[in-house]
Amino acid sequence: MAPSVKPISSPVPIEWYPTLAFFMLSIGLVVTSSFFIYEATSSGKNRSLAKELSTSAVASFFLGFGSLFLLLASGVYV
Amino acid sequence: MAGMRFDLALLLLAFGSVLFLSTVSADLVISKLDRRIDLSSPIVRATTSLKVENNGAEAITEFLLPFPENQAKNLASLSVIIVEGKGKSKVSSESLPVRIVNPMDSPPSLVWYSVTLPKELVKGGSLNLEIKAILTNILRPFPEKITQADVQLIVFQDSAHVLSPYAVHMQSLTLKLPEPKVESYTKLENTKFSGSEIKYGPYANQPPFTYTPLAVHYVSNKPFVVARELVREIEISHWGNVQVTENYNLVHAGAVILGEFSRLEYQAQPHLRGASAFRHLIAKLPARAHSIYYRDDIGNISTSHVWGDSSRTLLEIEPRFPMFGGWKTTFTIGYGLPLKDFLFKSGGERFLSIPFGSPIDELVIDNLIVKIVLPEGSKFSSVSVPFPAKQSMQEKFSHLDVVGRPVVVLEKTNVVPEHSQYFQVHYKFSNLSLLQEPLLLVFGYFLLFVACIAYVRADFTISKSSSSYLAKLQWDEVRSTIQQFESIMNRCLIVHDKLQASLRDLSRTGDLQACKAARKTADSTLKELLKDLKPLISFLQSSPQAAQILPKVEELAAKEKELQEKIMQKHSIVVESYDKKSGSKDIENRVTALEQKIVLLRQEVDDLVDTIDEI
Repeated sequence: MAPSVKPISSPVPIEWYPTLAFFMLSIGLVVTSSFFIYEATSSGKNRSLAKELSTSAVASFFLGFGSLFLLLASGVYV
Repeated sequence: MAGMRFDLALLLLAFGSVLFLSTVSADLVISKLDRRIDLSSPIVRATTSLKVENNGAEAITEFLLPFPENQAKNLASLSVIIVEGKGKSKVSSESLPVRIVNPMDSPPSLVWYSVTLPKELVKGGSLNLEIKAILTNILRPFPEKITQADVQLIVFQDSAHVLSPYAVHMQSLTLKLPEPKVESYTKLENTKFSGSEIKYGPYANQPPFTYTPLAVHYVSNKPFVVARELVREIEISHWGNVQVTENYNLVHAGAVILGEFSRLEYQAQPHLRGASAFRHLIAKLPARAHSIYYRDDIGNISTSHVWGDSSRTLLEIEPRFPMFGGWKTTFTIGYGLPLKDFLFKSGGERFLSIPFGSPIDELVIDNLIVKIVLPEGSKFSSVSVPFPAKQSMQEKFSHLDVVGRPVVVLEKTNVVPEHSQYFQVHYKFSNLSLLQEPLLLVFGYFLLFVACIAYVRADFTISKSSSSYLAKLQWDEVRSTIQQFESIMNRCLIVHDKLQASLRDLSRTGDLQACKAARKTADSTLKELLKDLKPLISFLQSSPQAAQILPKVEELAAKEKELQEKIMQKHSIVVESYDKKSGSKDIENRVTALEQKIVLLRQEVDDLVDTIDEI
């Protein structure tokens, strides 16, 4: 009995790529802006490294996935 | 001794050859043979249907097919099938295995192919075979150089009697020409020319190895498109796309053009002045192909059209100039295909099933290189191609690659459109490796942020004792102190708000105990905050930089203290009144004056906080 043959398609439906790109990038940019505002307004000993690192981690996650979906939506299938 | 040995060897050889020929020719006999050679396109397709009988004593398991050397060199494809039944009930078997053999005694310049029969042909039995041979590059344009206004004349040479090691009882040959006119053809017995077909035969009782050369000189203006080299790159991306890029190096392999090319004459009368040229090429792409582009080294070529339906997409391209004999052009075609039509999962492996040859109609490819780029992180396992091809591996660095993608390279020479069959490439890939690309991007962005953090914290001043540097340091300290002071003020204000809220709750629910508890917590919090405030104010008083801000800060502290007192007063009054159970109107009267002052003070405090903030 030959094993079943199933077609493979992408893990995320292709029609979602532009929407996902837009939303993830906008959330990522909002978090980036909050990171930079914190950097600009805090001073000296008030800066907390934990807050900085957590904000930048969340921002880079959203920016990274957002730019991946942006690349896929514009036809560069990486 | 040596001389005798030599003679003996020769004798044995001669004896063996006679034996070979006699055994072969005595055993099998071809009772009926019908050859049709299709010359209507530059790719010569010869179909031979024959019926072979076993008149010998032993069962035969193989059937020999010789080809003259020049034909064998240009043999692109040879397939043999067994046909049973006639007309509507025709049943064809699968392609039989064919291999090249080297019998010891063959006449020179012959290449022998041996077909292995699936079931041995018993004594007295007969079999119907159909042999399809596809030959490229054996048509010669004659004259070899023509002007723009001439028609292209081609010479085809072959034998009227089929070259076979077996005796043939009855045979005939039909040549199909592209147009119903012919310049000249060899007139043997039983030759007939009608319409666009030349029929030689039927010939009876020909002994084996008869060869009667014939030549046909005819008109053919069909495009002679030959690709000297075609590189097809198929890149698989599991995010949803199979991208095919084809680089063509085309040449018109017919009669070379002599003299000048006059564009004026060509445009005015394309059929008279340029009959041998071709302008359009049609490519049959798979259905749902998207993002199709057609460009060359100069840039995009806009003379192209695409039509699509649900079974295939047709791309018609026109090179930048009409192709006359001997002219070359290079271009690139690219298109994307949806993943689910070509990539499948079976067992633990994935495989890609895609056509092997070029999608362009009637194209002969001298050298075809197919490269399949597997995604990063995949492990190649095997390739299955329905015909022999050379296989090798390479590596390619493409978008967002760290270690590179494995590339399977298949090479084949002398490829015709019949080779556009599906072939499979098997490999292993886990979906987790898909995450490598977004994680790479995330890591890149994170490094940017870490660089920002490091920059803000790093101290790059060269002179650590200059007065401006020291002043800046002090100012930084003052700023941080003020920020802490501000946060304490904000917390005090929050406590005030909580107290007000508890009073409102009291008027709503009448829960005196909760109100008293809120008051207690507020008292303790405020005490703590006041304690934290003291060192800050003392620092500000000692620092010279804060001279400007200090009065405002002190004013804010004082106002806040006043506000605190007033609120506490109000709270106590309200609680007392509730204890005494006096009416709400009563409470209102007592509290009104206080309330107004509280509102005023709160306003002033807010203003002061704003001013300090702006510094």
